[in-house]
Amino acid sequence: MSESDESLTQLERNAKRVLEESVRRIDGRTRSRLNQARQAALAAAGARRRAWFGSFTLMPAAGAVAAALLVAVVLWHREPAGTPPVALDAQHAAAVEDMDLLTDNDSIDLMEGWDGSFYKWAATQSDAGAESNT
Amino acid sequence: MPEFATLASPYSMPAALHGDVDLTDPEEKTQTRALNQFLAGVELKAFKIAQAALRHEDDALDAVQDAMLQLARAYSDRPPEEWKPLFYRILENRIRDMQRRRTVRGRIMAWLPLRGEDDDEEYDPIAQAPSLEPQPVRRLELDEAVGALEQALGRLPPRQQQAFLLRTLEGLDVAETARAMGCSEGSVKTHYFRALQALRAQLGELHL
Repeated sequence: MSESDESLTQLERNAKRVLEESVRRIDGRTRSRLNQARQAALAAAGARRRAWFGSFTLMPAAGAVAAALLVAVVLWHREPAGTPPVALDAQHAAAVEDMDLLTDNDSIDLMEGWDGSFYKWAATQSDAGAESNT
Repeated sequence: MPEFATLASPYSMPAALHGDVDLTDPEEKTQTRALNQFLAGVELKAFKIAQAALRHEDDALDAVQDAMLQLARAYSDRPPEEWKPLFYRILENRIRDMQRRRTVRGRIMAWLPLRGEDDDEEYDPIAQAPSLEPQPVRRLELDEAVGALEQALGRLPPRQQQAFLLRTLEGLDVAETARAMGCSEGSVKTHYFRALQALRAQLGELHL
């Protein structure tokens, strides 16, 4: 009790004395068993603490493994210098050809010197080519 | 004599018992020392409190041991000033569990043939023999007072008994007792006051 003994009643003071006396009378066997229990508890606390710190000591190793895996994945996906480009499908190939036409200087010249007869001729050529193919 | 030096330290006991405990870390050493000091300070009083509640020495020892282990495993990293209410809270829960189990066991045993509780214990004439040492009158008075108080405490309702013992024997203040009992400070005051009234009715002022 935090209150001073003066504030206690006679019964409280006497009860405290009697209880303390009964604690003093606890036999050696019981004291020994309590001591063993305390040592077991201390060992348990130590083991828990070591397990906690053990998890921290494993963290750098786990981080190194994760970093190594990341590097491996990046290297695996990177293409070697001499590898030919991946073959394009038909749709992508047509788009690339259109880009070639658009960027070609010849086509710009054709646009500048607008010649409708050329386009008519070109159209008949392609139609004729299609008919001859069929 | 390095072995003797190791065994002489009370804080190296876990190492001696379990083999793999290394207390070379100074922080761990400090914490272990603080926990050892705390447990050593409460173990005897905790045993008396558990014994008053359970009225069985071995059960009381088990309850105290379980409370120590649980405190060490779950709360040893908490600030030491929090340990006492936590420890007594754990002990209280353990005592309640044991009392509940005992009630269930009692109900089951009521259906079985009668059998004395101490049938398994062999009669030990040396343990049963009265001490031959002459006992001074003072000691006899104290004996009587201890016996009368323990009996009176045994008749108190559990919550009153707990409030009285935590306040009077363990010296917890009202707030700490409330935390240990898991109730309000007002309830602690009520339980304590009623316990005092009941004890006064049975013992008077407990003159020594």
